[in-house]
Amino acid sequence: MTTATIEVKNVQKTFGTFTALKDVSFTIKKGEIFGFLGPSGSGKTTMIKILTAQLEQTAGEANVLGVPAINMKRGENKARFGILTDNSGLYKRLTVEENLLLFGNMYDLPKSAVDEALNFVNLADARKKKVTELSKGMMQRVTLARAIMHKPDLLFLDEPTSALDPVNTAHIYKGLRKLNEMGTTIFLTTHDMAEAETLCDRVAFLHKGKIQAIGAPSNLKHDYSDESMTVQLTTGEEHILPMNDHASAETLTQWMSTGSIIRIQTNEPTLGDIFMQLTGSDLQ
Amino acid sequence: MNMSMKRIQAIFIKDYKEFSRNYAISVMVLLPPLLAFFYNKMGAETMQSYFIPINTTLAMVTAFVQCCLMAEEKENNTLRSLTMSPASIADILVGKSSLVFSITAIILALSIYLVGYEPANIIILILALAISIVFYIALGTICGLYTKTVMEATITVMPVVIVFLMGSLASGFSDKFPILAVAEWLPSSQIILLAEALEVVAPAKELIVPFVVMIAWTVLALVVTTVLYKKRMTDD
Repeated sequence: MTTATIEVKNVQKTFGTFTALKDVSFTIKKGEIFGFLGPSGSGKTTMIKILTAQLEQTAGEANVLGVPAINMKRGENKARFGILTDNSGLYKRLTVEENLLLFGNMYDLPKSAVDEALNFVNLADARKKKVTELSKGMMQRVTLARAIMHKPDLLFLDEPTSALDPVNTAHIYKGLRKLNEMGTTIFLTTHDMAEAETLCDRVAFLHKGKIQAIGAPSNLKHDYSDESMTVQLTTGEEHILPMNDHASAETLTQWMSTGSIIRIQTNEPTLGDIFMQLTGSDLQ
Repeated sequence: MNMSMKRIQAIFIKDYKEFSRNYAISVMVLLPPLLAFFYNKMGAETMQSYFIPINTTLAMVTAFVQCCLMAEEKENNTLRSLTMSPASIADILVGKSSLVFSITAIILALSIYLVGYEPANIIILILALAISIVFYIALGTICGLYTKTVMEATITVMPVVIVFLMGSLASGFSDKFPILAVAEWLPSSQIILLAEALEVVAPAKELIVPFVVMIAWTVLALVVTTVLYKKRMTDD
């Protein structure tokens, strides 16, 4: 039986007269990788702060790992989740290893957990380097190592690969999938549509504090597709034909029999296209 | 209260490493022993002069260094990271205070030796100094939590430090300026009154009142520290 790791019902959050979240509802199943997509200021970080008890919602209900989200501030619950945000700080005068050892002690972990975490983020060679000697991408990987070193049931990642190069991004994706296969549920916020498609089982589009759409990337793409395809011919012409249409099938058969087709491409929207279609604005 | 010695020790070791590599702050510990040495050479013999290096230690080492350490944690968002770990408020506040407490104790012992002060009752003096250290740590923590950067903290803590450091001297001018009599109730003045009472066969009241006043300041500062910490570590 799949159980809910996160359950959010009609959550609202206001700061004075500003409403950051409006009637937000979603459920994340155990073992899922869930992407929360939206531009800056859409309410993503507010949602993470509510789920990790850094903020309390103004209205509605939020449960995390079977307890009200506000109880996540208790020590025993804090050990069950990990968090990486854009402002997760590191001790700059300490080495990478000293930073991780400190947090290993906070979680009562053996020293071997530091080695495992460093291998996970491909930083074993940099363990003796001071944080001030690291690039932004390396710092991001150290904070990720710190977030996963206690093997949490639930991991919150806020733009986890924003400062990484493609090689390290691929390494992190591989590691996150491995962590997910071991049972960790991942709540991810990102602007990066390719990242969301690569990693997420389901995504939610957040715009001005409201969820605009929610579902598996493939389902969303199907739902918002215009069901057309682009056919490129040897003459250089490009034709857009509707799919699942008798006339299109006849036209295609004719072109194929004369060997006129170079390429056929289905016109699926990207997640960015869908977001724009729903909100009239892009994700940046 | 949920406390873990392992976590407190880990924060202490981390703070020690950071402190020893941060020369801008660690150099402050040299000031009180130097002051004590010069006061001794100048022939310090009064309780006021003995307590100048002692109160300087409490203000410039205890409160100032604690303030800078807390402000740096806030500036770098590391305090938030610690708060998000299973460490309790008590683990973090005790862990973050234990290094400054230890350093202060060493500097006080050295300064008292160098200034040539030989208290009549060392046990009672140690007790009074321990209460004072806790008070000044809380004061430094409050200033550190109140500010956002180390730069801001060093500016904010100075007036506070001066009031508590100079309070004992200011109360000496209360004959001319009656308003300054209020400075007599500062912990820095009360510890001098206590030390003077220890040198003579004073009635118990003269020992108890300074203790009660210092404890009251300390309890108040600890309550403010805890409330401010909880407030600063949430975003509501």
